[in-house]
Amino acid sequence: MGSFLIRRLAGAFLVLALVSLMSFALIWLVPGDPAAAFLDASATPEQIATLRSALGLDLSLPQQMLGWYGRILSGDLGQSILLNRSVSAALIERLPVTLVLAALALAFAVVVGVTAGLVAAVNHNRWPDQAVMTAVLLGLSVPDFWLGLVMVLVFAVSLGWLPSGGFTSFTQSPSEWLRCMILPALTLGLVQVGFIARMARASMLDTLGQDYVRTADAKGLAKLRVVLGHALPNALIPILTVIGIVSGALLGGAVIVEQVFSIPGIGRLIVGAIASRDFPVLQGGLLFLAVVYLSINLVVDILYAVVDPRVRLA
Amino acid sequence: MAKHIILKAAVIAVIALGGAQAALAQRKGGEVAIGISQAPPSLDAQITSAQAARNVTLHIFETLYARDENAKPVPELAEGVTISPDGKTYVFPIRKDVAFHNGKKLDAADVVASLERYRKIGASPALVAAIDTVKASGEHEVTVTLKQAQSTFLDNLSSPRAPIAIYPASEAAKEAGKIEIIGTGPYKFVEYKPDSHVKLARYDAYAPNPKGTGRDGFAGKKEAFLDSVVFRFMPEGGARTAALEAGQIQFNETVDGPTAKRLGTDARFTVQKVVPFGLQVIKFNQAQPPANDVNFRLAVQAALDMEEIMAISYADIYQMDPSWLYPGAAFHSTIGGDKYNKADLKLAKELLGKSSYKGGKVTFIVDNLRANVDTATVVQQKLKEIGIEVEIAVSDWPTVSKIGFTPTNWTFWTHGFGIEPYEGPGSVMAPWVNGLSQQAKDPEIDRIAAAFNAELDESKRKALYDAFQKHMYDAAVAMKAGNYGIFQASTAKLKNFKPYRIPRMWGVWLEP
Repeated sequence: MGSFLIRRLAGAFLVLALVSLMSFALIWLVPGDPAAAFLDASATPEQIATLRSALGLDLSLPQQMLGWYGRILSGDLGQSILLNRSVSAALIERLPVTLVLAALALAFAVVVGVTAGLVAAVNHNRWPDQAVMTAVLLGLSVPDFWLGLVMVLVFAVSLGWLPSGGFTSFTQSPSEWLRCMILPALTLGLVQVGFIARMARASMLDTLGQDYVRTADAKGLAKLRVVLGHALPNALIPILTVIGIVSGALLGGAVIVEQVFSIPGIGRLIVGAIASRDFPVLQGGLLFLAVVYLSINLVVDILYAVVDPRVRLA
Repeated sequence: MAKHIILKAAVIAVIALGGAQAALAQRKGGEVAIGISQAPPSLDAQITSAQAARNVTLHIFETLYARDENAKPVPELAEGVTISPDGKTYVFPIRKDVAFHNGKKLDAADVVASLERYRKIGASPALVAAIDTVKASGEHEVTVTLKQAQSTFLDNLSSPRAPIAIYPASEAAKEAGKIEIIGTGPYKFVEYKPDSHVKLARYDAYAPNPKGTGRDGFAGKKEAFLDSVVFRFMPEGGARTAALEAGQIQFNETVDGPTAKRLGTDARFTVQKVVPFGLQVIKFNQAQPPANDVNFRLAVQAALDMEEIMAISYADIYQMDPSWLYPGAAFHSTIGGDKYNKADLKLAKELLGKSSYKGGKVTFIVDNLRANVDTATVVQQKLKEIGIEVEIAVSDWPTVSKIGFTPTNWTFWTHGFGIEPYEGPGSVMAPWVNGLSQQAKDPEIDRIAAAFNAELDESKRKALYDAFQKHMYDAAVAMKAGNYGIFQASTAKLKNFKPYRIPRMWGVWLEP
């Protein structure tokens, strides 16, 4: 386990070094100038030059890159151009919102997705299976942006049950916080339900065909016990893999959902940074997301061993 | 006769009663949430010229002079001004009854420190470039001396672009973005949640300008009835509309045409037009062929059907007007109108024949704002009819503005001019001085602008401005398509709202 962790962490650092290099390079390939974007159309060349110099944009590319690596190695992601705060502060401020949103969406997607997959697998080729698979296909085809607006129209505008957007922190009012988070989490989670349901169904079908399940069945054990007690634990590994992938997708989906529901998370921060060419926030944000993504993968790998003792982390 | 008198008296009584009821209807209380599309980059009013910041900061901060309903500078925190005959010295008596939101009384030291801060780090340094010294000449008197006379100095001082806001001296000593948000305005700052909202609360110790008789532009008597105002940052137009319909926000900063029509037929909402909000401008890059040739530019100007452009780009919310200033502005002029909106393809072809353009693609750069793309598309189609091949290059604003500030890779560029015509003739001329926007110096514009800034005689200034506008058309320096507006929507419970350049939350109240 120890050597596994050391190897994985070393690999993670290598990936991060590459991600940081790519985020730097990609950003410099993007056309547009933060100084021109920050000032309005009547800005004079002198004003633009002054701002470029203040932001260090007049330095050569290698100088800027060395500066960037120097800063991140010392734990400093730099200063935002627009937000009057450090990039780390801006990210840390928004991280809990996005993580909680993604966690709620994941919980919803896992519960609904695994249940739907199980129901479909147990009723293989019968109407519940077909109904679940049709619903799953629909869910997979719906863009989260559109789904979000439909949710708002139904639950906020027509029924008036939930707020159409905005955010109240948990510490301010737990009940309001929950009300604010339900629609965004459902929107984000619903699109992912399909992936989990399909994998759960396939994995369960595979497991239900195994000899030991047939034996359990033949012994006359209750159907529910066979499915939940015997088959499900062994079907979980591929499902876990999908959950790992879905977790990453949720972070990506949060970008859109946070825009629609005006949720102040990392996604909105990064979209805003792209629009305004706030390069330090964009670079820091990408690196930060890479760290989160790598951490999720690591946790999923460790969970393999927890769920299935046959998997050894060596 | 007696019957007539009785009837007349009854009508007067009804009107008076109605008036009294209207007065009674003004009620304190309530919170208005305003959906705005962008978050302000900063609430340090002096350091940003973003519209989103103005929406908020002009409720919190005030300036020495502010613009009235017709954008004329009038005293706000100053009681007035005495200008020396040579136009170089301005003495401002400062109002004595004004208190900042932290309770401190406003005095000359605050004004001096604020003006000095703006000179160092203000977002529009051109506004204060003429200042030589700023001194307190009394506890409530400030004297500003200019390096040379500048006829637009009061215009500059009162500009809402990146306002020369007056801060307490203690805050004015701080760096950009590091201040406590403390002003003298009718609302005080409560909280700013990044990517979420800004909350303001009514400042009960606010001292309205005694010279103001009512709501008047950014000046006048600012009566705040609402307990609080929340600006929610909601980038998605559909989400803003849904929030308004769900009662989560009470005011939507801008809605599209179809939404405005739909909400306009629903008694629960009020839709207002803010016209004009900007000029649709089509720029030429004069640094390279073919737009460095005046005949090419005149050919394009002659060919274009500006009404067609505006009707498609800003359906239901535009005005046709050749002036580079807004209607109602002191120097508004129709000079050059004979060359505006001609759609004369015969003349255009003649002029094009005289030009050096002999075919080939020219690039029209445009950002991804729908109306700007529509403008480029209509121009493309029209110019095709006279034999000019236009290629449209759409990218986002940072990309387009970067290209547009350079002398290569573009021939046409379109976008709005919103604040410049509001600020007045000096600001309308400024983007063309030194060839800034057209990428090639135009000695005639430079001469007129310099003379205009130094000229103190109003009638001579008017003549100079007319000469500028005539030159814009005679040389087709750039083209103005028309004035466009925006739709705003609110709950019908928000009473006495009057649209202006920002959604002013003074003089309005909420009905239960």
